[in-house]
Amino acid sequence: MKPLDPRLLRRARAARTYVVLTAVLGAAAAGLVVVQAFAIAHALGPVVTATSAGATPPPAQVWRWVGVLALVAALRAGVAWAQERFAQRAAPRVVAELREQVVAHAVALGPRRTGAGDPAAVATLATRGLDDLEPYLVRYLPQLLLTALVTPTLVLVVLGLDWVSAAVLAATIPLVPVFMWLVGVMTAGTSERRLRTVERLGAQVLDLLAGLPTLRAFGREVGPGARVRALGEASRRATTGTLRVAFLSGMVLELLTTLSVAIVAVGVGLRLVHGGMELVPAIAVLVLAPEVYLPLRRVGAEFHASTDGIAAAERAFAVLETPLPRSGSSPVPVLDAGTLVLERVTVRAGERGVEAPSGLSARVPLGTGRPGGGRVVALRGPSGAGKSTTALVLLGLLRPDDGRVLLEPAGGQPLDLGDVDPASWWSQFTWVPQRPSLPPGTLRDVVADGRDVPDAALAAAARTTGLDAVVAGLPDGWGTRVGLGGVGLSVGQRQRVALTAALLPGADRPLVVLDEPTAHLDARGEQVVLDAVRAWRDTGRTVVVVAHRASLLALADQVVDVAAREVTGARA
Amino acid sequence: MPGHDPLRRVLPLLEVRPSRVVRAVALGVLALGSSVGLAAVSAWLIARASQMPPVLQLSVAVVSVRAFGIGRGVFRYLERLASHDVALRGMAALRANLYDALARGPVTGVVALRRGELLTRVGTDVDDVGDVVVRALVPAGVAAVVGLGSVVLVGAFLPVAGLALLACLLLAGVLAPWLAARSAAAVERRGADARADVTARTLELFEDGQQLRVAGRLAGRLDGLRAADARLAATTDDAARSGAVAAAIGTGAQLLAVVCSLLLGVPATLAGALAPVELAVVVLTPLAAFEATQALPAAAVQLRRSREAARRLVELLPAATPEPSSGPGARGTGDAPDGSAHDGRLLRLAGVAAGWEGTTAVAGVDLDLRPGSVVALAGPSGVGKTTLLLTAAGLVPPLAGTVSGRDSLFVAEDGHLFATTVLENLRVARADVRPDDARAALEAVGLDRWLAALPDGLDTVLGTGAGDVSGGERRRLLVARALLAPARVLLVDEPAEHLDATTADALVGTLADHARRTGRAVVVASHRLAALGVADEVVLLGRPGGAQDAPATVVARGRHADLLRDEPDYAWAAAQESLPR
Repeated sequence: MKPLDPRLLRRARAARTYVVLTAVLGAAAAGLVVVQAFAIAHALGPVVTATSAGATPPPAQVWRWVGVLALVAALRAGVAWAQERFAQRAAPRVVAELREQVVAHAVALGPRRTGAGDPAAVATLATRGLDDLEPYLVRYLPQLLLTALVTPTLVLVVLGLDWVSAAVLAATIPLVPVFMWLVGVMTAGTSERRLRTVERLGAQVLDLLAGLPTLRAFGREVGPGARVRALGEASRRATTGTLRVAFLSGMVLELLTTLSVAIVAVGVGLRLVHGGMELVPAIAVLVLAPEVYLPLRRVGAEFHASTDGIAAAERAFAVLETPLPRSGSSPVPVLDAGTLVLERVTVRAGERGVEAPSGLSARVPLGTGRPGGGRVVALRGPSGAGKSTTALVLLGLLRPDDGRVLLEPAGGQPLDLGDVDPASWWSQFTWVPQRPSLPPGTLRDVVADGRDVPDAALAAAARTTGLDAVVAGLPDGWGTRVGLGGVGLSVGQRQRVALTAALLPGADRPLVVLDEPTAHLDARGEQVVLDAVRAWRDTGRTVVVVAHRASLLALADQVVDVAAREVTGARA
Repeated sequence: MPGHDPLRRVLPLLEVRPSRVVRAVALGVLALGSSVGLAAVSAWLIARASQMPPVLQLSVAVVSVRAFGIGRGVFRYLERLASHDVALRGMAALRANLYDALARGPVTGVVALRRGELLTRVGTDVDDVGDVVVRALVPAGVAAVVGLGSVVLVGAFLPVAGLALLACLLLAGVLAPWLAARSAAAVERRGADARADVTARTLELFEDGQQLRVAGRLAGRLDGLRAADARLAATTDDAARSGAVAAAIGTGAQLLAVVCSLLLGVPATLAGALAPVELAVVVLTPLAAFEATQALPAAAVQLRRSREAARRLVELLPAATPEPSSGPGARGTGDAPDGSAHDGRLLRLAGVAAGWEGTTAVAGVDLDLRPGSVVALAGPSGVGKTTLLLTAAGLVPPLAGTVSGRDSLFVAEDGHLFATTVLENLRVARADVRPDDARAALEAVGLDRWLAALPDGLDTVLGTGAGDVSGGERRRLLVARALLAPARVLLVDEPAEHLDATTADALVGTLADHARRTGRAVVVASHRLAALGVADEVVLLGRPGGAQDAPATVVARGRHADLLRDEPDYAWAAAQESLPR
């Protein structure tokens, strides 16, 4: 875990500019702190020395230094303003850059996002998780750079004023990280164990709260109240134990920094008594000593911002560094009246120790592309057999773990699907999944999808799919805004929108993949799907349907049986 | 504002003992006071030392400087422990009180929980409210005491310099935090729409990314996300202005205080009104005093965040007076001693209209359930079957008509499985479920093979590794739990979901057998019709004429066989399910 990951600078342009600006401002801040110390010392020292001796100091000089100090005050306020402004401006931009990269990469990894971890976790990372970078960038990073710039500069300045004090400072600064590291190492095991206990206890309470509707339904809600209290008390005790240890490093930091400031002050005082030092440099050293440690202490205080931010960045890099599947580059051959060949296609289903589909082989003749020459191919099998997975393999979105898919043009050489350029392969497909995506726009825009569609054709297609009834119920009919920021449509209604779009003339992609909706489909909805499939076949297209119901199987020209297989010993 | 401050309503639920807060503040004052003391005494020390007095005269100062140097770290450690202890106690109490309030409050509030995403935030909201102690109350208290202490210290030497310090401390400790909190609020408020847009676009890309790739729309959608993020950056950038001003004030005020001390102190010293050694104290103490105000902008931001969290928690809390009828004793006894409503009926619905927030989903439903009754609710999705069951169970008040009979159990489609053992999950139904009962119930729902495959059998903890349950297993576990419940009426929502046809039909059969064997009544809501032949009566809900906004009504009722004969739509839908595979 690096405090500043070079990958962050490499991946996010905004982060590079920000770090440079912050470094410049940090250098300015270091210079101003030095000037401030000298201004205070020169304004205060001569007055104390002169009046102690019963003399009068030259007032013009004193007021000049007070003027300098006022100027420094204004400049330091300006630097603080600029730093905060740049930080607030840069942080969302860095987050945005990473977010876009994570999203693009995760999508490019395919439907299973192989290797990138739990899909829900990646989605959370891209929506909320990356926000943890903001406190890291706004609070922690500037202090880190200040530590690197201000602390050594000030030690050098103190060295020029009083080498003994400089020696004290230079000796204690390295001790800070050493002691913090020591405390960390000695306590790491215990605090991690305790932290897990705390998390488990917290999860149990949330589990009870989440289950409250269920407990209420059974009339069993009162008993667990005492348990929530007991869990809370146990959690508090465990956490206090962790904190007692975790705060030790903070104490070491505070103790070392404050104690060494005290040692410097006492040392300077004693040298003054013995006449080994002038008052002006003594005051400057006294003002500078706490400033030497200030960035270091703030780094310690913002430690949490750093760990959360670094963890978020690491998770983002873990996604970004997951290698993309290899993609082919050959153009798609002419598929009319060709054949799609599945050879022992096997896909392992995550951790479940199941292959679904397992060793699927089939020859699927394709439609001719001319009216009357269409074909309907149904994928059949119990749920979990890998029907939808097979569709993803045919779409070229998922690589089979074993076996291959071949494209055989009529009278041509077979070509492995893995060697075909994905974009050109996708351009052959209309895909209607169980939950179709709904682009933002008016309903008409969404259905027409940029094509010039006559109203009559639109109405005809909408009649086939039953979308006309949906449109009639919408406030602005075809002009109703749907998708992002628009009217929410139910899954069934989305399905009708997608089917209508796929039915319009001009949607002349020769292959159609339809994942039949399983849940909540009533008789009317089912008829819509059947009508759509027939309409596609009539135009000469090849329709691959993931069929869950008998009615669709009855319609198919070819039925491919898909089966899963448990892999023994995979769960050892 | 004070009357409506949600934080004030929630804070009593933290059960914070004032003495503990006072202790934390006192320790914090000692810690920060050490810092200020260190600065003041070392200023005195070197100013006095420069006058070259006998060393012995300095020894008290030397010792106190060292003591302050040590005291700061030690007291700070103790203060952090003390304030976190207060916060942790508060969070634990808040969680427990929240649970109690929800458990004892009106039952409708709990049902509403399910409908929002409120629950997903409860954990962080409780933490945010608890943090108000550590990050806002204690720092503010410490800053007030130490700030005033510094003012008194400086003022003791030169009153007018004390006043100047007070003014500067107010700038850094009141104005800057106010600006910082205002900025944070503006960023959140003005950015809310843009942030929601970014989140929606991100989630769309995750959910539909593969479709967008195939459709060739991915690049356009990524451009859209980038533009949305740019809009978000632009709005928050604008709103963050006052935050930067707050940072500038915080830094500037400290040096301004030093400048003021010099401007006021030097003439006083020259006039002989202030000793030179005291001048050093007056000038150098403010440098340390401002450490107290540094934490305050963050404290103000935290206060705001805690208030927002408290506002969401207040929304969760039921209204002040709990409904007397909803207590645990009300359920399970009913009107008559045997739990039945009247004259042998277990549950009676008369002219019931059901719906949410005044919108009627289903109207005009009559239903009589006697021991052994098996009734099926059929109809397309979204017609209001679930709402009707919730109303029948007394979890949602009927919008019209009457529901009599109380001993009924609503078995939700998304019922909760607790992260505990299989047996404990079944014991939610009834505390005295024996392992044999549990095995029998699991066998009845067809989970005997699943149970046999579990590493620890009934003692396997659900939701971890081997205890992962699939959608279908989950449905069947929920039904098994319902079979063990003492309630006389089971209202089961979509038991067939996520199950293949054979298992789904068998499960409906199991529920019907259970009702007839034990003299209970069962209502099953299902969009799948094939299994409904076991029901005494099928109640078909629908909207005649397909009108979307009118409430659904009972369009037909009768035995499955009769409906197949008399209702063409019903027959068609059933036929689609039963075509040979």
